[in-house]
Amino acid sequence: MKKKVLSVLLSTAMVATMFAGCGSKEASSDNAASNDTATEDTADAAEDTADAADDTADAAPAGDMHFEIVSKGFQHAYWQAVKKGAESKAAELGATVNFVGPNTESDIADQVQMLNNAINAEPNAIGFAALDTTAALDAIQTAMDSGIPIIGFDSGVSGAPEGAVLANASTDNYAAGALAAEETYKIIKDRIANASGAVRIGVLSQDATAESIINRGLGFIDKIAELAQADGKTVTVEGNDKYVTDSKVGKNDGADVIIEVAVPASVDASLSKTDCETILNKEDTICIYGSNQHSGEAMVSANETLQKFGSGDDKVVGVAFDSGAVIKGAVADGTFAGAITQAPVAMGEKLVELLYASANGESVENTDTGCQWYTADNMNNEEIAQNLYD
Amino acid sequence: MAKNEKKGNAFSNNPLVKAVGSQQIVVLLAVVVLFLVFSIASKSFRQYTTILSLLDTVYYIAFMAIGVTFCLITGGVDLSIGTGMICYSLIGAYLVVHVGVPVWVGILVSILCGVIMGFFNGFLVAVLNLPPFIATLCSMMITRGMGSIFTGGLSVAWPSSGSAQGAYRNMFKLNTGSIILPIGFILVLVATIVMSTVLNKTRPGRYIIAIGSNKEALRLSGVNVVKWQWLAYVISGLFTGFASIAYAGVLASSVAPGAGAGLEMDAICAAIIGGTSMNGGSGTIIGTLLGVFVMALLKIGLPFVGFQANMQQIITGLVLILAVFIDVLKNKAR
Repeated sequence: MKKKVLSVLLSTAMVATMFAGCGSKEASSDNAASNDTATEDTADAAEDTADAADDTADAAPAGDMHFEIVSKGFQHAYWQAVKKGAESKAAELGATVNFVGPNTESDIADQVQMLNNAINAEPNAIGFAALDTTAALDAIQTAMDSGIPIIGFDSGVSGAPEGAVLANASTDNYAAGALAAEETYKIIKDRIANASGAVRIGVLSQDATAESIINRGLGFIDKIAELAQADGKTVTVEGNDKYVTDSKVGKNDGADVIIEVAVPASVDASLSKTDCETILNKEDTICIYGSNQHSGEAMVSANETLQKFGSGDDKVVGVAFDSGAVIKGAVADGTFAGAITQAPVAMGEKLVELLYASANGESVENTDTGCQWYTADNMNNEEIAQNLYD
Repeated sequence: MAKNEKKGNAFSNNPLVKAVGSQQIVVLLAVVVLFLVFSIASKSFRQYTTILSLLDTVYYIAFMAIGVTFCLITGGVDLSIGTGMICYSLIGAYLVVHVGVPVWVGILVSILCGVIMGFFNGFLVAVLNLPPFIATLCSMMITRGMGSIFTGGLSVAWPSSGSAQGAYRNMFKLNTGSIILPIGFILVLVATIVMSTVLNKTRPGRYIIAIGSNKEALRLSGVNVVKWQWLAYVISGLFTGFASIAYAGVLASSVAPGAGAGLEMDAICAAIIGGTSMNGGSGTIIGTLLGVFVMALLKIGLPFVGFQANMQQIITGLVLILAVFIDVLKNKAR
């Protein structure tokens, strides 16, 4: 009897999951449908302006070209902005996109599965932001064998087989990290010069696997070191081994400027908060840089307990990366000196342009989608505000 | 430590030890020792703010751990508490930020979600007789996906402390202007006292303990075993709901869908370190709270003495092996 009840329940559960699965598919086909209508609108507009367009619009119906985009996640508004840019560009070009991403940025295996699914969908081209390039190498090879061009975006896909990734639409993350360092150094220059002992600069990184995160960290570390060394100071890098080995400076005992890199064991808000608190509690800390939204928000969390960020000589200078309501709030009220923002909407647009060109067999090349330094003073300017999201 | 468990030595016959329980005394000593070691080893650790950081971590682990202790005592487990906590927090945050309900409604909904999930888990375990490990592993996956579906995959941040709706954060950290008071600890203490009383001094509590030691005997004596086993999971769900508010209250970060896997281990480890038996039938809420302090001290303290993230995980794993080993020795002695 019990077994019967159990089997009935199990089958109900299975049927329920089937429906749930269908439900989400319906949602995504709804998305595709809305893209279709959007493209039809553009096609209509084209009809009005050019006679030639009339024929092409009829001959090649909207959605002929299909792109799969595998992002690193969905949970941050940043990805939503990329998606927005990608979808609007696709609508403009008369193509459809399917934008997917794993549940969290720790789900490397899930992302590889999504990439495999994307290849199986036989799109004209694939956009890919790798969480971990090594884990995705097999799938990339499959795409290459099936002749599907891959365009990298955001963190890109470094170390992929020659010719597999045709181009990247990404922020030059190393340059972005360096920009953060230049702006930060302007603020902390005097404190470094006047310090009686060593000073500590914290770098919070979400992980030591993703190319974008590593480069933002290294760009910052190398630039700070370069500027400090130019002013006659010695510099050492401590903490996470990956960053220590890959930085240009490395470990030097007894240096004037200590750059300490903290990486949590997993992408968890409470772990990064603890990392930040640990550095904030050290007396020689003068500045902390968080290299993405996750780390920046962890700095705000830590500050709610410790209240050490701000301007003034007894305070710690906070510098973040990306936006979101929490970080924007901290920049606006002066808790953080400033932050770097990428241009996610432009990134989505550039990505689809590159996908479209590569699917048409045109040659494509890497595109830097840009970054900006924003502070309480300039964050409401139109050219910056469009890249800040809640 | 194992020697202390043997009957009839001077330590275990001490009336104070008898009243509080020998493992609790040992864990209390461990908390004190850990605190002293970190304080001596790191100058930065010896600050008032470290206590605040420590308590921030204690709040949400404590609520989860108090709840899951009831499941552990019945001989079961609730693995859905980590992802559940994130899921309920996310649903509440979404309602507050994107739907515009008042914060207190969001808080109530978060807690209610926990209770509903507790009912569901209890149904699977007590009524359908599914093994608790498997049943709650499934609900762990369900809660992991549910938050994501509810918010359309977005991460959401609860209103920050500076904003008009941020007053609820004062439940945990009261900022008086000059100093921050960790008043959330009062909530944790109240929960500990209340649930300790429920477990030891009330009929449902005694039945829950009896289920863990001999379920069949209890059933034969005419007690509605299903009902009380079910209750244990509802309690766990309710406290996970509380934990979701504590988590939101101390972290300014946005809550990310799909996160939280692994957080349940902090709570389960805390309960086991605090003397709750993996086989059920024994355990105390005060022991669990002490276990929570051990876990929180490891989390907060290890970075101060220079241990990198992965080393912290190894040390925490070793501490848990020790705690389970003591549990095994205790069972042998019985």
